[in-house]
Amino acid sequence: MIITCPHCGPRDLAEFTYQGDATLSRPEPASTDQEAWNAYVYDRANPAGEHREYWQHAGGCRKFLVVTRNTLTHAISGVEFAPATGSSRRKRS
Amino acid sequence: MAKQRPGFIADPVMRARAVSPLAGHIETGQFGVAVGQSPSVRLGERFGLSIAEVTAWKGRESKCRAAIKATASAALKVAPGSGSVKTAAGAFNIAPMRWLVSGESPELVANLADAVSEDGTVTDLSHGRTVIRVDGEKSRWVLAKLFAVDLSDAAMPRGNGLATAHHDIFAQIQRVGADAFDVYVFRSFARSFWHLLCRSAEEAGYRVD
Amino acid sequence: MTSHRISTGGRIDRDKPVAFTFDGKRYSGFEGDTLASALLASGVRLFGRSFKYHRPRGLLAAGYEEPNALVTVTTDGAREPNIRATELEIHDGLVAESQNRFPSLAYDLMAVNGLAGKVFSAGFYYKTFMGPVIGPLKGTRFWMFCETFIRRAAGLGAAGTTPDPSRYERMNAFCDVLVVGSGPSGLEAARKAAADGKRVILCETAASFGGTANWSGKDGEMFADTVLSGLKSEPNVQLLNRTTVWGYYDGNTLAALERVTDHVGRPRAGKPRHRHWVIRAGHVVIATGALERGFVFPGNDRPGVMLADSAQRFACEYGALPGRRMVVFANNDSAYQAAARLRERGAEIVAIVDVRPTVGDWAQSLAAEAGAETIPAHAVTGTSGGKSLTGVTIRGFDAETGNLSGSKRRIACDTLLVSGGWSPVLHLASQAGAKPVWSDKLHAFLPPESDGAWEAVGSAAGEGIEPPEPVFEIAATGGKAFVDFQHDVTADDVRLAHREGFQSVEHLKRYTTLGMATDQGKTANVPGMAIMAAALGKPIPEVGTTRFRPPFTGASLGALAAERYGDLRPERLTPMHDQHVAAGANMYAAGLWFRPESYNRPGETVEEAYVREARNVRRNVGIVDVSTLGKIDIQGPDAGEFLNRVYTNNFGSLPVNKARYGLMLREDGFALDDGTTWRLSEDRFLMTTTTANAGRVMQHMEFYLECVWPDLRVNLTSVTDQWAGAAVSGPKSRDVLAACVKLTKVDNDTLPFMGIVHGKIAGAPVMICRLSFSGERAYEVYCGAHHGPHVWDALMNAGASHDIQPYGLEALGTLRIEKGHVTGAEIDGRTTARDLHLDWMLSKKKPFIGSAMMDREGLTDPRRWTLVGVISLSGEKLRGGSHIVDGPAEKPGRSLGHITAMCYSPLYGKYIGLALVENGVARIGTRGFATDPARSKTHIPVEFVNHVFYDPKGGRMHG
Repeated sequence: MIITCPHCGPRDLAEFTYQGDATLSRPEPASTDQEAWNAYVYDRANPAGEHREYWQHAGGCRKFLVVTRNTLTHAISGVEFAPATGSSRRKRS
Repeated sequence: MAKQRPGFIADPVMRARAVSPLAGHIETGQFGVAVGQSPSVRLGERFGLSIAEVTAWKGRESKCRAAIKATASAALKVAPGSGSVKTAAGAFNIAPMRWLVSGESPELVANLADAVSEDGTVTDLSHGRTVIRVDGEKSRWVLAKLFAVDLSDAAMPRGNGLATAHHDIFAQIQRVGADAFDVYVFRSFARSFWHLLCRSAEEAGYRVD
Repeated sequence: MTSHRISTGGRIDRDKPVAFTFDGKRYSGFEGDTLASALLASGVRLFGRSFKYHRPRGLLAAGYEEPNALVTVTTDGAREPNIRATELEIHDGLVAESQNRFPSLAYDLMAVNGLAGKVFSAGFYYKTFMGPVIGPLKGTRFWMFCETFIRRAAGLGAAGTTPDPSRYERMNAFCDVLVVGSGPSGLEAARKAAADGKRVILCETAASFGGTANWSGKDGEMFADTVLSGLKSEPNVQLLNRTTVWGYYDGNTLAALERVTDHVGRPRAGKPRHRHWVIRAGHVVIATGALERGFVFPGNDRPGVMLADSAQRFACEYGALPGRRMVVFANNDSAYQAAARLRERGAEIVAIVDVRPTVGDWAQSLAAEAGAETIPAHAVTGTSGGKSLTGVTIRGFDAETGNLSGSKRRIACDTLLVSGGWSPVLHLASQAGAKPVWSDKLHAFLPPESDGAWEAVGSAAGEGIEPPEPVFEIAATGGKAFVDFQHDVTADDVRLAHREGFQSVEHLKRYTTLGMATDQGKTANVPGMAIMAAALGKPIPEVGTTRFRPPFTGASLGALAAERYGDLRPERLTPMHDQHVAAGANMYAAGLWFRPESYNRPGETVEEAYVREARNVRRNVGIVDVSTLGKIDIQGPDAGEFLNRVYTNNFGSLPVNKARYGLMLREDGFALDDGTTWRLSEDRFLMTTTTANAGRVMQHMEFYLECVWPDLRVNLTSVTDQWAGAAVSGPKSRDVLAACVKLTKVDNDTLPFMGIVHGKIAGAPVMICRLSFSGERAYEVYCGAHHGPHVWDALMNAGASHDIQPYGLEALGTLRIEKGHVTGAEIDGRTTARDLHLDWMLSKKKPFIGSAMMDREGLTDPRRWTLVGVISLSGEKLRGGSHIVDGPAEKPGRSLGHITAMCYSPLYGKYIGLALVENGVARIGTRGFATDPARSKTHIPVEFVNHVFYDPKGGRMHG
């Protein structure tokens, strides 16, 4: 699998580490809503099809990326720097 | 002498008290060279350099580039990987808003910290990296055995650099000449990496001075 | 034996004879020969024994598709089995052996298996070796018992057991166009791409470029030579022969194996045996050609039965004539061409037997050229001869119905050339994800429409293939008719599988093992599917084909492991590594790091050494290399706030030049890592992590900075390698520092517990923090890594008069166990701060990572496994990992926890340990057992005690 890092260009999968589901939003730090925390830590949709995932370019620029990947075909339709997507703040759909 | 910010640690390499991780492990001479042929790769350590990582705060990238230019006379472009190399110093972009700067002056890191000031941060890595120069007509062939990056003329103009990895060995590579590359690896991996490089270069024939 | 060597032609060099041995007998061939062609030229017909029935087998093919002629090559004592003789280039001194025979190829005792034919039919293993429902050999245990014997009787070559001395390497390559195959179509594609200025890589699996041009016609050969010399002069073109592209992966990444030196006996120094190419291509041209297939009929595996095109290849490319008197059996015109060429090279073509009722003019004229009798509407129904063909039997045949008619006619011959049609080599296209399409005209699977990343050209795309009459099997009686030669799968096996209910082609494959041998059924799959389709009463495209998977042909494991194997495995060494080795340390691999385990003096065991080292720390002073600790430079105006969120305890309030012990949790509330963090200035901290978790903690923090709190102005840089670290511990540690540290005092006022000072040792700048892992007064001295050896020596010199001794990981572990400090053995991903008695570190004044989840039900249960100390009551040595139980050896009861770390404690004069035990705190003062039934078989009575064995008030480290 090749991931095209927005900074480094196309690189081999071996340079990246998977860092989890990028569709979740972390509750406010002081939140005591146990259900929200539970959903954030444990609930995963495991979609068959397009998915947004965090990958860190650990063997390169070390940036966190949000990769839009089809879990059925491995086809990657988008790679962005993580903060630009604001995904950590997006509400779960 | 540069004025240092409180708590800042610039730790220039003191030649008389410093030991390279490759000390005693670099064998000079020619290897893998058939009779009547000359080696097509040259390998050597650039020991004792001042090395620092500069990271800009958001919006202060151009100020950091200017600070690097002032300190290491390296003119940097905005493009990813952009770099510049002179005899005494050089710099290249390794990540968004981040550069690796190196040079022969012991004051380089402290001067850099002064120049960057509040526009970003500077971390001294003079002791933390080992720099190995790979030069010669077969340098790309040898490096291609270890790194899955395109080092061709078109993909990597002179002065530019990139960050990559050979399995666990993280590496930053700058093209410093027509066929010359400086490879920055973590000091702790230096010996393994040197061994790996020599092994990879044996086929082409290499020389260590 | 008579020579079958043709005096002229081919790509062999008759001026360069090569001597080699096969099954202990000396032979000679020429440079350019394969083992197959050289032996064939020497008159050898018998190359191996078959997988199950040990039937004699000869050459079916001339290239990588060969199913029978597998040999084992021995080089410097290392054995490599299952090499195709058709791909093995001979060189002086080559030693090859045939396989799967006992005691010899000619007299194989196991051939008796052939008499027991029915027993070895499809699914035989599954059915026969299921044991009784009960008893010692119940179910699959019986299979496991029998397997040893079966493996000896049935199988391929045996792998060697000695280490492989060869060198392997990896190569990464980038190109605009990768052309796979250098036949006329591949060469043309490469020429065009090069002319367009593209970066081109051309891979050819054989030794010489040109593909079919090398054996199927003078014009082709000349074309190939012209194009090739043009390509050789192009700077943007890389030509790789002996290179098989075997895998097509995502992102147009392809894997190829280059056999760099297999063809020479003694490679030049530095040359690898194999090179594993990883090629990232903009576009892939699949020019892999097509493979001829045979027919399924009784006795179709007898040595002397050969694919027609392969016979032509042996004769034309290698100058080795497969036989003298040949019969051709075909369903298409291509075999007529082969017949004419073979005639030209000196073979007698007795007859061409064709299943078709009529033969076209072109074929007729070729038959006349070959001087052969043409026998249309007939089929071969059997073969005769023992270990070598002596004749064939033919009968009238109706291609429409498959019915045989008329009387048998026997034709004497030593070679039967078969041509049952052609299958385009579409493996790579299939690997790329494309589903093959059946052609009713060519009676073969073709590559489908491409997604644009690749294209198939030439016969790989079905171009120029002679359409055959769709006949795959001649259903005659009189012996086994093989579909898959290498796995000994017969037509009856396929039908049996169908009768037993296997409908899907994927199930058929696995049940009969058709196409699952090392040749992956290259010549067998299509006939197999045709027979299955006939049994099902469905057309072939409805039955479909199995998906092709990498590797196309075998790739050596050595090449895949290449740069990770043996002495090329990376090692991380601390700056003081050489000093440890010089001091007699035995080095211990801790992850990638190498650390001193103990510094054994002559005659000392490891235990004696670490006990001495630990005792010396308690009495005098010791020094240990802590350079491996993870170190992270944390800078920025929000650094304090960031650490407040990352650590469970407060760091924003930490004064400059002070350090604090910190604990991190994961988001789910479990402990992640611990370490000390030093505040160097208002906006700068130096964090230390455990050695093992350095990378993980860095990633953890980078994630929060980038993805969760991008508004925080904090930069992180790993400085693990920038600093050499030495911990100086023991009551005399301050004296040692006082004797060598300049520019600062080190007394208790200047450098109190958790204080930081900057100074110099022997001229090198140092940063010293007063920390203790051992429980003694102790200091961590950090300096620039290049200065590490210098500073270490200075500390050793300064400590000489105080009896300083270096200590290793074992003593370090002993001291921390006595002190009850936790490490990764206790922070194992399943423990909470409370489990480890670190709840005093959980701030109630601020949220931090994990704070919301750490008080969940289940994480606060008092019955959880908690940290306790254990003492061996019997004097026996405890074992790490032993389970804690409360019953005696005969009836231990369930596990209540386990020992995480153990040592011989010089303080107690006993074996002690730390353990995570259910309801642990409540058990303190009671007894139980540490049981280790699987390894040491010990069952040791222990007493549970508080986890801090030593100086619980901390007077010694604070003083």
